[in-house]
Amino acid sequence: MSHTELVALSGLLIGLVFGATGQATGFCLLRGLSHAWLSQDGRKLRAFALAMAVAVIGSQLLATIGALSLDEALYLVASPSWVAVPLGGLLFGYGMAAANGCGSRSLVLLGSGNLRSFVVLMCLGLAAYMTLSGILAPLRVWLEGATSLSLPSPSLPGLLGVPAWLPTLLLGAGLLVWALVSRHFRASPRDWLGGLIIGALVPAGWYATGVLGFDDFEPVRLASLTFVAPVGASLQYLMLSTGTRLGFGVTVVAGVLVGALIMALVRRDFAWQGFTGPGQMGRSILGGILMGVGGVMALGCSIGQGLSGFSTLSLTTLAALAGILGGARLGLKGPLALSKVL
Amino acid sequence: MPTPLPAITRRRLIISIGLLVISPLALADGPWLRLEAASNIVGDTQPNTAGLHLDLPHVSEDGSAVPLGLSFDGTLGEDDYLTDIHLFATGNPNPEIAVFHLTPMGGLPEISTRVRLNETQEVIAVARSHRGETFATSREVRITVSGCLMRGNDDQPAALSYPRVSAPSHLAPGEAGEIRTLINHPMETGLREGPNGNTLPRHIIEHFRVTLAGETAFEAELHRSISANPYLRFHLTPTQGGELVIEWQDDSGESAIHRTAIDVG
Repeated sequence: MSHTELVALSGLLIGLVFGATGQATGFCLLRGLSHAWLSQDGRKLRAFALAMAVAVIGSQLLATIGALSLDEALYLVASPSWVAVPLGGLLFGYGMAAANGCGSRSLVLLGSGNLRSFVVLMCLGLAAYMTLSGILAPLRVWLEGATSLSLPSPSLPGLLGVPAWLPTLLLGAGLLVWALVSRHFRASPRDWLGGLIIGALVPAGWYATGVLGFDDFEPVRLASLTFVAPVGASLQYLMLSTGTRLGFGVTVVAGVLVGALIMALVRRDFAWQGFTGPGQMGRSILGGILMGVGGVMALGCSIGQGLSGFSTLSLTTLAALAGILGGARLGLKGPLALSKVL
Repeated sequence: MPTPLPAITRRRLIISIGLLVISPLALADGPWLRLEAASNIVGDTQPNTAGLHLDLPHVSEDGSAVPLGLSFDGTLGEDDYLTDIHLFATGNPNPEIAVFHLTPMGGLPEISTRVRLNETQEVIAVARSHRGETFATSREVRITVSGCLMRGNDDQPAALSYPRVSAPSHLAPGEAGEIRTLINHPMETGLREGPNGNTLPRHIIEHFRVTLAGETAFEAELHRSISANPYLRFHLTPTQGGELVIEWQDDSGESAIHRTAIDVG
């Protein structure tokens, strides 16, 4: 088996585990935020925090033992745009609230029979590629060029001039303690197992592309879990597979869909669901488009930046994540809340 | 009641519609005829459009390094072999990408490299055999804006440093061995502006030569459309072993040499 086939196969396996886990545990940043802000139940949010802790500790450990270098990760940009990244995060967060879930959550829901998610995913994939290489790309490239900020270092430890283990330990331990301090969370194995498994899939993704995919002559792009560009790439692959190569992102997307489907059938949780009216459909379309455009501008989604980007200790992640949280907050609570606007 | 069209008019109509359909096809036949450099290689012969294959992605988000594969499964007479394969990018400032010179040792004509394509365009490959047969093929590649932000490449490794070669150490007689090579080189086109606004001087690897036991086994002429840090993959089917010497030579006269041994038997 060639190294590219090995990477594609690992992507499929990682996706299967992600899809099955997400289906069984309901792992979702948006649900975590809405439960925490609207019904004072922090378990889902703590599950996401646990996943962040596991992702950063695992990934930095891989880098420290010298298995791979995370420097090539796309989140570590030396001169990011100080407008596109936080604004993209804001659009993504608001879109996530409008569509009732991020890209990965939509894949899991589609696997469970939710056809609303099909509309979200189509719009997300289309909008992502419109922004990445299509009709909106010149505007994005112009914005990024006009507002690029030259950073002394693309990563948090580099900026502070400290070794990477220090922020890893502080952030990882901080998130871990915050997650586990709640007795309510500890008593909910569904949530902590979900956080633990999905967090561990992030270093697994780096390992698949960075170690299994390592080849001097034909390098594979270093990547881990993310669900904006890969959803668009999956649509493109469906249309152009005779002239494109199957990559990690596309097999992860396929794996999540299949993994969620299998788990939904096993748990007898599969049920067809559709729109109840045009308003709901409009919300899904808007949410998908905002997530596609915003996710590309912010270099990643709630999973891509929130877990994979965070695990590289990149500075763009801090800006993107602040934007995503802010956007979700606007969508859930306050004058712009979707329950009032739409 | 409408009068039926006279038979002759109807027939003429059908013929002219037929011509309308056929003529663009006839014109589209062989983009190599429209590119002078390529049609010079073909000469007066009618190239065979079956046999030579170009493997390129339909869509590429990174025009600076598009993976390109060449393969051949056409029929050639006994003792005949491909002598040279020419690659052209019709939409680049210089259409020539590379020329590969093969020898009877070439065995399996399967070559890979990475090329620069600055816009959506047709890539052409033309091959000639020892006995004068010609083959041609083309493929359209769509180039889109780069998917990710450009990195600041301030600390580029030195030109011609760190040659990497993967070659089999042992081959059975008649077995095709895959050889992969990679070397650090900016392949500066001479068309690009540097950070201070001055045009960066052209600096590219022009010649790539492989000898086995003192005999030329594979050669390539590289042009500006070959990506930075040139990658070349090709095959050799040696009948006897010996020292494999791989040499990269750039336009400043500098060269890098890598030596290894292949044992055949």
